[in-house]
Amino acid sequence: MNGVVAEITYRAMLGRKRIWLLVLLPLALVVIAALIGMIGGADERTAVLLMKTFAIGTMLPLLGLIAGTGVIAPEIEDGTIIHLLAKPISRPVIVLTKFVVAASLIAVFAGVSTYAAAYLLARGDSGVANGFALGAVVGAIAYAAVFLLLGVVTRHAVTVGVIYALVWEGVVGGYVPGARKFSIQQWAQTVADHVSSSAFFKADVSLGFALPAMLIVTVGALVWAGQRLRSLSLTGDD
Amino acid sequence: MTTEPTAVIHDIGYRHYDGPRLGRGNATMALAVQSLRGTFGLGRAIRAKIMPLLLIAIMFMPVVVSIGVMAVAKERILPYPQYMVFMQAVIAVFLAAQSPYLVAPDLRFRVLPLYLSRPLTVTDYVVAKLSALTVALFLLTAVPLTVMFIGELLVDLPGGARTGDYLASIGGSVVSAVLLASIGVVLASLTPRRGLGVASVIAFYMFTAAVSGMFNGILSSTGHDSLAPWALLLNPFFLTDAVQSGLFGTDPSVGDGYPAGLWTCLILLAEVAVAVSGILLRYRKAAA
Repeated sequence: MNGVVAEITYRAMLGRKRIWLLVLLPLALVVIAALIGMIGGADERTAVLLMKTFAIGTMLPLLGLIAGTGVIAPEIEDGTIIHLLAKPISRPVIVLTKFVVAASLIAVFAGVSTYAAAYLLARGDSGVANGFALGAVVGAIAYAAVFLLLGVVTRHAVTVGVIYALVWEGVVGGYVPGARKFSIQQWAQTVADHVSSSAFFKADVSLGFALPAMLIVTVGALVWAGQRLRSLSLTGDD
Repeated sequence: MTTEPTAVIHDIGYRHYDGPRLGRGNATMALAVQSLRGTFGLGRAIRAKIMPLLLIAIMFMPVVVSIGVMAVAKERILPYPQYMVFMQAVIAVFLAAQSPYLVAPDLRFRVLPLYLSRPLTVTDYVVAKLSALTVALFLLTAVPLTVMFIGELLVDLPGGARTGDYLASIGGSVVSAVLLASIGVVLASLTPRRGLGVASVIAFYMFTAAVSGMFNGILSSTGHDSLAPWALLLNPFFLTDAVQSGLFGTDPSVGDGYPAGLWTCLILLAEVAVAVSGILLRYRKAAA
């Protein structure tokens, strides 16, 4: 961890247009929960549905994408990363710092809004709010690491990330049950399921698989990104 | 005593261009064609070609499967009008990946004044970019549909080809291309950063898709059955599907039916109008 790098990254993330997407999506989640409450649909089943499809299924990957790639990809894209790389700071430490910034941002924005929305709909029933908030925080950590790695590996990090989140986790995961085992949002749901006792909610992946998988993916992505940053080439394409 | 000249202007043969001047129309056309080629990676680096080619390949997968099933099992599995709704995630990824490419670099490197120092006006620039993306999106869906139709003609199943359905789906793909292109360009032109542009376009799609599906379900389960179909229209793909079924009488791809055709057409036109005026406003500012 490097305090100065962290501070600069926080400032870059929170001071630009990027902040709007980071704020608007969680805000939308809470507004939707309030709307559902107004049309009289506030119950535990709806809460679980909203959490599964929107909070974990849509908002979390999007926040992960925006923050995870946002902490490093723009710097690589416009070449200002060389100023950072020229400093006597170990590259894995840079990666770790950027990861902590991204993960903390996603965890705060996703976790707080998920808890608020679930609480609006289900109150404290069956631990739905607690479960999904914890699931969102855990998912945030894994997404931050994976998308950070993408930002270091490819110039088209956001597009590749979109394909992973939308096509693999969304479409393929919808039809092919086996693909769900290798999906961060399913792991987040597993964690949520473990905490909540809701009868309307059953995760597809066991906790015994999800936790080790999440740990391996997070650590693996960080180590790879650190190695990759040691020999980064700054040649441009189009 | 004469001093040696310290600076000399050499005649190195600059000449005026005295050929024909082709004017605004041709400039717009040239920009549109170059942008259209760029959306498919033509004339760009090899890395820029991978993504469009991959997405085109995915777009053709259901077509190949459908023709195969028609030939072997003598069954029609994929109705033409539902192709676009079925492939919406892929089309959305194409839109998100390519619309920032069209507008973001020009904003980021501040080269708009260079375009505008030519006969091209701001409106011409916007028209060129919009029509390039519209044509690209149209080709992305219409070419696979046409291939599927040719395949059906060649297989020649009993009962004749579904010509009406095919023509309706082509009409639908024109409508969706116009809507999606204007949404894509307006969102992408808000930021000069390509990555952020990709993220905002895809966030718009995933957000509207999730919200429309969820509200449709919740409204119909809480007894607001008359409101439920309206919620579907939030998703641009269902909106075009609704317009398609309103204009050409095709079956809805989702749910039990959409609101009346006139309203869906009006909503679609309003969305396009808002998006296009948003783009024009944005560029009036960016050009200055």
